[in-house]
Amino acid sequence: MPGGGRCPDCGSTELVEDSHYSQSQLVCSDCGCVVTEGVLTTTFSDEGNLREVTYSRSTGENEQVSRSQQRGLRRVRDLCRVLQLPATFEDTAVAYYQQAHRHAGIRAARLQKKEVLVGCCVLVTCRQHNWPLTMGTVCTLLYADLDVFAGTYMQIVKLLGLDVPSLCLADLVKTYCSSFKLFQASPSVPAKYVEDKEKLLSRTLQLVELADETWLVTGRHPLPVITAATFLAWQSLQPSARLTCSLARFCKLADVDLPCPLAWLQVLGLDRRSVVKHIGDLLQHRRTLVRKAFRDGTAEQEAGEKELQGRGQGPGQGNEEVAASSSLRLPEGKRPASPALLLPPCMLKPPKRICPPPPISTVTGDEDISDSEIEQYLRTPQEVRDFQKAQAATGLSNPP
Amino acid sequence: MDQNNSLPPYAQGLASPQGAMTPGIPIFSPMMPYGTGLTPQPIQNTNSLSLLEEQQRQQQQQQAQQQQQQQAQQQQQQQAQQQAVAAVQQSTSQQATQGASGQTPQLFHSQTLTTAPLPGTTPLYPSPMTPMTPITPATPASESSGIVPQLQNIVSTVNLGCKLDLKTIALRARNAEYNPKRFAAVIMRIREPRTTALIFSSGKMVCTGAKSEEQSRLAARKYARVVQKLGFPAKFLDFKIQNMVGSCDVKFPIRLEGLVLTHQQFSSYEPELFPGLIYRMIKPRIVLLIFVSGKVVLTGAKVRAEIYEAFENIYPILKGFRKTT
Repeated sequence: MPGGGRCPDCGSTELVEDSHYSQSQLVCSDCGCVVTEGVLTTTFSDEGNLREVTYSRSTGENEQVSRSQQRGLRRVRDLCRVLQLPATFEDTAVAYYQQAHRHAGIRAARLQKKEVLVGCCVLVTCRQHNWPLTMGTVCTLLYADLDVFAGTYMQIVKLLGLDVPSLCLADLVKTYCSSFKLFQASPSVPAKYVEDKEKLLSRTLQLVELADETWLVTGRHPLPVITAATFLAWQSLQPSARLTCSLARFCKLADVDLPCPLAWLQVLGLDRRSVVKHIGDLLQHRRTLVRKAFRDGTAEQEAGEKELQGRGQGPGQGNEEVAASSSLRLPEGKRPASPALLLPPCMLKPPKRICPPPPISTVTGDEDISDSEIEQYLRTPQEVRDFQKAQAATGLSNPP
Repeated sequence: MDQNNSLPPYAQGLASPQGAMTPGIPIFSPMMPYGTGLTPQPIQNTNSLSLLEEQQRQQQQQQAQQQQQQQAQQQQQQQAQQQAVAAVQQSTSQQATQGASGQTPQLFHSQTLTTAPLPGTTPLYPSPMTPMTPITPATPASESSGIVPQLQNIVSTVNLGCKLDLKTIALRARNAEYNPKRFAAVIMRIREPRTTALIFSSGKMVCTGAKSEEQSRLAARKYARVVQKLGFPAKFLDFKIQNMVGSCDVKFPIRLEGLVLTHQQFSSYEPELFPGLIYRMIKPRIVLLIFVSGKVVLTGAKVRAEIYEAFENIYPILKGFRKTT
């Protein structure tokens, strides 16, 4: 068929393109002689259209929900059900998870991160609806590390541009206090320890609000503050019977995790007994007391500042008793001798180490570097030999 | 808010962050700021730099004078030497006031970079402004805070321009550690300036721990000299400051909950994770860590002026959260 081709055997011009399996051949249709044959193998560029494509380069992931995403969405719904959230929360959390999955960085993340992402979506949903869910709870449910959770949470908030409101303290107090097992007598809870839920809740709320106003909540994990406030409130409702109960025992019988010991609670232990008896009155008059304390505190602070400016001292000197005890001052007006400043406890503690101001250096960056200075950082040949011998002896040489 | 537009319609009506932002019970109502505006209004870059340079030059002179006085009074035996030193200092400070250039290399640097770090954060000298260029302040009643952030750490990189054998370096240098199973670089330290360097086999080096740009440059040069003495043809190419960290203290407590409510688009405050508030300023692009005690850490700067500018921007905002009713 093709012009100019002749079979070398019989001389006919009837040459046909015929393949033997994958090998292309030019065969004479008269005598069957193979005139030319193609190569058995194909080149990389030839195979361009026949090669296998990885899933991430195909359009498959855009067309259908991947298996890991399906698993993740199932986990989101399961977590919402375990936490007994309203049905609407589930849909919002699922939507956030799907939104996150559209980003390539999340799609390619490890399974551990995708698992934690489930918790992040549920947490964001709860925060936006003012549902008090703590990160600790979510991490416990997911068996996840708080560090991993923190990293993923910050990343996803930034990536999706989410507006996440702060944890609502009042709601958290309500749900957390309700979880204390103090409202019914049981073998572990004697009758005198049982307390009315509403009374305890309202008093705890007031104490937490007071703590917030007097700088005890800012910058701290809220849960230990709430635990301590509940403890104080519970004690103050029946001081005679309950003063002997320690915080650790209280947490055990209420079936609650003991928070890290709070510095301010330890300091409060100095005059805890007297304070607990008066908590009722203090809370009643708290607004006046706090206003007075702040007003006096700032006036004294300003006076003290003017006095001490010449000596160069800062306004950080207060007595050792922290803001908690100063704000819960007895209504009879018994003041501590020195001015008590209402500041965050970290500002009232003496600094751990005084950093001296650095000496003014006149380095230009272009000075000459003396040889002797550099020599001190180099080993002598003898030292090198000794070091090598020692390394060989212990067999601890570092392979390159 | 715009972020929720991509949610499916049934979720849009429910996820209402505007309503969710205000707490349910008004017990924890935030303090409103004192009208300084939501976005930090930066003073123009060059003006703030000249302002601060002027401030620092004045402080430098006063410091130099103080030092002179102390030396003259205390050490009577070495009076002659002290007077000579004092004379030199006086002459350099006089040159600074006159603006003469070229006679001391120190002065040349202080015109482009601020050479000496400033002592502490206590404002001993209220700043009488005699600016060299007219200033256009953002808010008419604003004034300089009088606090200057101190630089704590400088990270810089340099290319030594040749391949290195890390095993040889670790063997023949006293101040080097090399554990390839843990990290693929030699960790070298020098005492003056007190810094640490990571030296990679490609010839690139990272220098950390210096307290000023010049110290970082000097330290990097010393490391390059050490590598040179070990037999490698090390050069000093593309020295660049990658990050600068500064810190200061505003000396009053800050209501972080209030700050995160009013500056929500820049702030991130999660007390469950970290006690400080993370403020990402847009102009200049600096990240600030703000703590309840009033301490502020500024990081992410490539030049010193960015740190100063960022602090001058945040100070009026923080002042707004100072007083509580």
